[in-house]
Amino acid sequence: MRKIFLHPWFQLALSILCVTASELFLKRGVMAAPRLGQAWNWTGVSGLASPLVWAGIAFVIISFVSWLYVLRFIPLTIAFPLSQFVHVLIPLCSWLVLHEKISLVRGSGILLVVAGICVVAQPVARLEEKL
Amino acid sequence: MTPVAALLILASLVAFIAGQLLLKHAMATELRGPRFYWYFGTGVVAMTFSFFVTLGLLQTFDLSYLYPFQGLSVIMITLLAAVILKEALSLRLVLGASLISIGVVLVSLS
Repeated sequence: MRKIFLHPWFQLALSILCVTASELFLKRGVMAAPRLGQAWNWTGVSGLASPLVWAGIAFVIISFVSWLYVLRFIPLTIAFPLSQFVHVLIPLCSWLVLHEKISLVRGSGILLVVAGICVVAQPVARLEEKL
Repeated sequence: MTPVAALLILASLVAFIAGQLLLKHAMATELRGPRFYWYFGTGVVAMTFSFFVTLGLLQTFDLSYLYPFQGLSVIMITLLAAVILKEALSLRLVLGASLISIGVVLVSLS
């Protein structure tokens, strides 16, 4: 169990999932939070009134820590492109959970990101042997 | 887009890319050594700077206008990690990163 948890690829997946979760919680939270006057509204600080925003912040922190762990073991040329999987997960989860629409352009963008990730992930099997 | 806005978009992009490279470099050196603190500290400062400049830009521009510039960071970080951090780079990685960059731009356009 511990071995799986400390595995860099597990941490990369955790980081990606936490970024996605944080965005969803932050969006839900700020939508529910009260609005301030115009002078302060742009800062988004009123979001702190919502517990959902705090959950979002917690996920941001977890994702940052696991990302640092990933950087210790995986080259940036591989880790950073793979981390862009958030651009697949966030629109899909926004569609499922928040009922936001996915346009044709966005849908084709998601497919391109998936294709790119497959291309990058292919040589990862070789790197895996070295870890 | 005014020259000031263009400059801010560029500054936020450069700071984000520099931040990722600095954090990677920090994590690859000996942890808790003096060089670690230097790279890690400047990395966090660069990321924070990029975060607040982006926040400020969001006041003026739509997210869909600003986010495509973030898409560029994928290909830039991949190339710079190879040049500056001397990481191995293959044609395959460049192709994958390019596809992802274009994909991220398309995802954020609409």
